[in-house]
Amino acid sequence: MSGENKNSKLMFAVPLIIFFLLCIFLFKGLFSNPRELQTGRLGQEMPAFNLPDLMQENKNWSEKDLLGKVYLINVWGTWCPTCLVELPYLTKLRERGVEIIGLYLEQGYDPDFDGEFNIQALRDEVSQMLARTGNPYQYNIFDLNRSLAFDLGVSGAPETFLVDSKGVILLHHTGDLNERTWRAKFAPKFTELKEVKL
Amino acid sequence: MKYFLFVLLMGFSALTFAVEEAQTFDNAQQAQLFKELSLELRCPKCQNQNIADSNAVVAKDLRDKVIELVKLNKSKDFIVEYMIDRYGYFVHYKPPVTASTLVLWVVPILFVLFGFGSVIFRQKKSAVEQEWSEKDEAQLTKLISKYQDSSSQMKQESGQ
Repeated sequence: MSGENKNSKLMFAVPLIIFFLLCIFLFKGLFSNPRELQTGRLGQEMPAFNLPDLMQENKNWSEKDLLGKVYLINVWGTWCPTCLVELPYLTKLRERGVEIIGLYLEQGYDPDFDGEFNIQALRDEVSQMLARTGNPYQYNIFDLNRSLAFDLGVSGAPETFLVDSKGVILLHHTGDLNERTWRAKFAPKFTELKEVKL
Repeated sequence: MKYFLFVLLMGFSALTFAVEEAQTFDNAQQAQLFKELSLELRCPKCQNQNIADSNAVVAKDLRDKVIELVKLNKSKDFIVEYMIDRYGYFVHYKPPVTASTLVLWVVPILFVLFGFGSVIFRQKKSAVEQEWSEKDEAQLTKLISKYQDSSSQMKQESGQ
């Protein structure tokens, strides 16, 4: 009799446990963002690159120029509406002492169809846009063929990376950076790094 | 006749297009590898499309990179690793067995084992011989006669 009792308790408990596990699983799903992708580069060093500056003629940047400081890399473009929303907030971050380096992502250019790229037109466009929103960038790296973007695992814009003074990529964020995401994701890591450096 | 010619020419146009596609590779193995990979690699932007289906810029970049690497005679594993290095495990439609994906691989097996186990367990349980006493026999006869009576009564009622 006691065995039967135990069995019926089990019959009751098993579906209940499955139900609760399913609840936890689905509840977590409510808050997970399928667009939140993580680059395969996390914990690795910045990939090697040698790319021109967006605004200055005859100026090139490489991964070695970036060593020795904690900074953000922000992938953006004038074609990207979310970037327009994000720029004023990034400017505020710059005023708070966060160094941000822009990686300008040109989306539509195809050398087979478009001929030579009109860099001057783009520079004018960028200056106009940054005059309106504020300029958060120390400088912009111009990635016409999206080679660095590819090596970083960038799938669109805006995206932001946090890189430490040894050039190791610590965080990757897809989508816009705002007060909420900054506080939740970047601020703890950033202050920690700054303290270590001091 | 004009219509026939038109159809014929249409056929040729498709043919030249196909030739152009194939010519980008040195041999059939390379073309085959590219086809396989473009179906197996997942577009990071437009989720649930592979890079062959997607027109996103990043999907085109991935395709171009696959073509480049295939032409360099890199192996399939090398190219998949190359993409995972950059875009994470997300980019490949076959997730590897790791601590976080273990549940994907183990749960279905456990489910099947549990099912078979419970079937066997139940069969064994019901195959156990049970005692049958005089009292049980008497109750059975009583029940049979009771329901026989009621069923014959019903037949009579429906016959009327």
